[in-house]
Amino acid sequence: MQLIVNITVLAAIYALLACGYVLIYRVSRVMNMAHGELAMLGAYLLYSTASLFTAHPVTAIAAAVVMSLVVGVLVYVLLMRKMTGEMVLAAILTTIAIGILLRGLVVLIWSAAQQHPLQKLHFSNPSIELIAGARISTCAAVLVLMTILVYGALFAFLRFGSWGIRMRAAGQNPLLAAQRGVNLNAIYALAWGLSTLTGSIAGMLIALDSGLDQTMVVIGLKAFAPALVGGLDSLVGALVGAVIVAAAEVLAIHYIDPLLSDVVPFLVLIAMLIVRPWGLFGTREELDRV
Amino acid sequence: MSRQPRASGYFRTGYGADLALLGTRLERTSLIVFAIALVAFPFIASPFQLDLASQVFLAAIGALSLMLLTGYAGQISLGHAGLIAAGAFTVGILFQELKAPFWITLPAAAVVGALLGVIFGLPSLRLRGLYLAVSTLALHFVVVYIGGEYESRRGFSTGIVIDPPKIGSFTIGDGRSWYFILLAAAALTLLICLNLLRARTGRAWRAIRAHETVAEALGIGIAGYKLLAFVISSAITAVAGALFAYYRGFVSVEAFSLFLTIQYLAMVIIGGMGSLLGALLGAAFVTLFPYLIEGALLALPGAQGYAGILFAVNYSAFGFVMIAFLIFEPLGLVGIWQRVQNYFLLWPFRHRSAAGAPR
Amino acid sequence: MTEALLAIEKLEVTYKRAITAVQGITLTVAPGQIVALLGTNGAGKTTTLRAVSGFLGIDDARVTEGSIAFKGERIENALPHENTRRGIVLVPERDKVFPNLSVAENLTAPVPHGTGAAERRRRETLVSEFFPRLGELKSRIGGLLSGGERQMLALASALVCRPELLLVDELSLGLAPVVVEDLLRRLTEIRRELGITILIVEQSATVALQIADYGYVMENGRIVLDGTAERLRNHPDIQEFYLGRKGGGESGERRSYRDVKQYRRSRRWYG
Repeated sequence: MQLIVNITVLAAIYALLACGYVLIYRVSRVMNMAHGELAMLGAYLLYSTASLFTAHPVTAIAAAVVMSLVVGVLVYVLLMRKMTGEMVLAAILTTIAIGILLRGLVVLIWSAAQQHPLQKLHFSNPSIELIAGARISTCAAVLVLMTILVYGALFAFLRFGSWGIRMRAAGQNPLLAAQRGVNLNAIYALAWGLSTLTGSIAGMLIALDSGLDQTMVVIGLKAFAPALVGGLDSLVGALVGAVIVAAAEVLAIHYIDPLLSDVVPFLVLIAMLIVRPWGLFGTREELDRV
Repeated sequence: MSRQPRASGYFRTGYGADLALLGTRLERTSLIVFAIALVAFPFIASPFQLDLASQVFLAAIGALSLMLLTGYAGQISLGHAGLIAAGAFTVGILFQELKAPFWITLPAAAVVGALLGVIFGLPSLRLRGLYLAVSTLALHFVVVYIGGEYESRRGFSTGIVIDPPKIGSFTIGDGRSWYFILLAAAALTLLICLNLLRARTGRAWRAIRAHETVAEALGIGIAGYKLLAFVISSAITAVAGALFAYYRGFVSVEAFSLFLTIQYLAMVIIGGMGSLLGALLGAAFVTLFPYLIEGALLALPGAQGYAGILFAVNYSAFGFVMIAFLIFEPLGLVGIWQRVQNYFLLWPFRHRSAAGAPR
Repeated sequence: MTEALLAIEKLEVTYKRAITAVQGITLTVAPGQIVALLGTNGAGKTTTLRAVSGFLGIDDARVTEGSIAFKGERIENALPHENTRRGIVLVPERDKVFPNLSVAENLTAPVPHGTGAAERRRRETLVSEFFPRLGELKSRIGGLLSGGERQMLALASALVCRPELLLVDELSLGLAPVVVEDLLRRLTEIRRELGITILIVEQSATVALQIADYGYVMENGRIVLDGTAERLRNHPDIQEFYLGRKGGGESGERRSYRDVKQYRRSRRWYG
């Protein structure tokens, strides 16, 4: 039973991080390799606001959330916008370089020591007892809840919201969207902002649950596998991929070898690339677009 | 392999002349001068500078092989560190298990590299661009995992120590010997790359990079050439990894992180895609960059306190420079070099005449 | 004399700084007109439309000389969505709808000119009045529509943007003649009811001259002939090279070009 709880929590983490990759890719065909670093930045921002507003945890959280949205928009407007139209490798490398820059800056600003925003917010994180003796920490439970909320909101927005429809349109045919009055730069900035926002929420909750240091970027990189397994331009795919990869990882750790935890997502990824490169729910045509 | 026409009107009148590496007297003499400078260097340089130069040569081998794969054949690979690790671990494993000498381990590393090249290259037959990059990334993690498993299973949790290579009774251990060996290795690699690119293989690769469908329509067997690019590039990279293992005397899985791959990709991009000179310039730049940063940092007041954050400053500065090159100078150092050249060649004109649009 | 809605003066468009696709054309479109731009492949017609709608950047093309003025305002090198706001809307030749969105979503995507409910009602009336078929297909996915339905959807989504100048690129491409007739009828209706000016680019001169008031013929990037539709229809060279008839008048027989010995003689209109 504990296994199922672990799988659920890990799947929630992966899902919340994976939807960030999908958002940006679906709208602008860019693979944001800096997603893990941006999520980590969001968590560090929470640490700062928590230190600032120790008596008002709600303000601290709200401030951090807004700041991460702004950071995402700024990264697009100042850096990624210049890379539109360049070749794939250059765009990927730019995001990688942004990630490296952020990693360095984070250590410079906040030091390499592990931080505990939980303490700063004066929250506690007791473990809740569920059925059959399985336990889950409060923060992890909140994380699962947030994942469901975020996905619900994203689905509703993309399906029914006018700007959600425009985002999907811009992803399918940017030229036509521009011709119908859609400001592509605004759409891309929105995608980057939302992606960083969801990633930061994941980062913050992980930090609250188990402390914060630079190793969080590894989770960001691992979350890339579920995004691809499900299909880089499908939110449903990200959810399903997250469950699959999380299950594979938890079961492998439990039954085979704990050291496998960093490799399993990539093994699943390789398997999917061999069998069905565009993922479970991705659109097939993506392959031929270089 | 056509080069820009020179201002002095150097015209090539035959295929042999077109393919020649050193056509003009200027090129021949400058090569001789450069060679003399390189050979004389160890006798006037400090051990630290010698070490730096050796590192640059070592990096150049890896950069050249990556340039072949990505800059010329157009196959994106994020698995470079995995291949270097494979070469290094081949040496480490063969040494620890069989006490094998270097004239077995180096070729073995090349073979391992070639085999891995086939594996890394198989996805390229079905995937392109982003998906190819991702598949090579995934393979990198697998290779590194296997290396880590070996380390922990055989009890080398801090890494494998390797004796320096011996030729007869002569141990290659001091800086000067290593300088010449690595210089020779880098020069040999450069020659191999140049010859590959002058031949049919190079032309096929360029065609594949430019437009794959058209290349196939012209009868170029793209599957074979893509795999060939991976195999050759990986073999060279693995040998670089083997040399790296001998040079450091030490193999440990932590040295082969994703950051190493990114450094090599930076060498290719900052140097300038599609140019061997770019690979060399990029290798020099990226290898020397951390030392530059360290020197700059130490020159600032209050130097002692910076030791702890040196790594972070390195990272930030590296990321920053990479972004700057990607956004502002996508043609890299070679692009800058060409612009400087053009300025002097075309003066007093500012531009070449526009490609003849009939009026 | 009415102020021209669109005035192009000596326009030159160059691709990749090497190929001059449009070599100095001058044309005007008066408000309320339907103007046709005729010519074979590679004449530069689509390039002209792209230049007007602001799409040149994608193919590394640029306006290198001349000017494009819309209602007196210079618009060369403006961004596509800016031009849409001004009222210039393009119905492209390919990729004219969003393939993975439903018909209803295709019609919601264009950025609105008004607020919520009123705008939505306006779009509904627009669609039901001119394209009732689309009303039945609201939830069909764009990529699954037939050719004619897709063209209708493309026109409808263009109309939703409240154009003053509608640019239509190759309306008849790949469509059965019956369908094309139907679309042409709707276009004339649209012009009549909404007063929209239309610039239509066509390879098929028969189609274009059916509804146009005025026409320009382009070849190799230059305008070689222009005139009212009537004059063009009766012009012997147009009849021979674009309408496939030899001999004067509409009743001339259609002969294969192979029968015309002097097919390779130079075109008369250069004189």
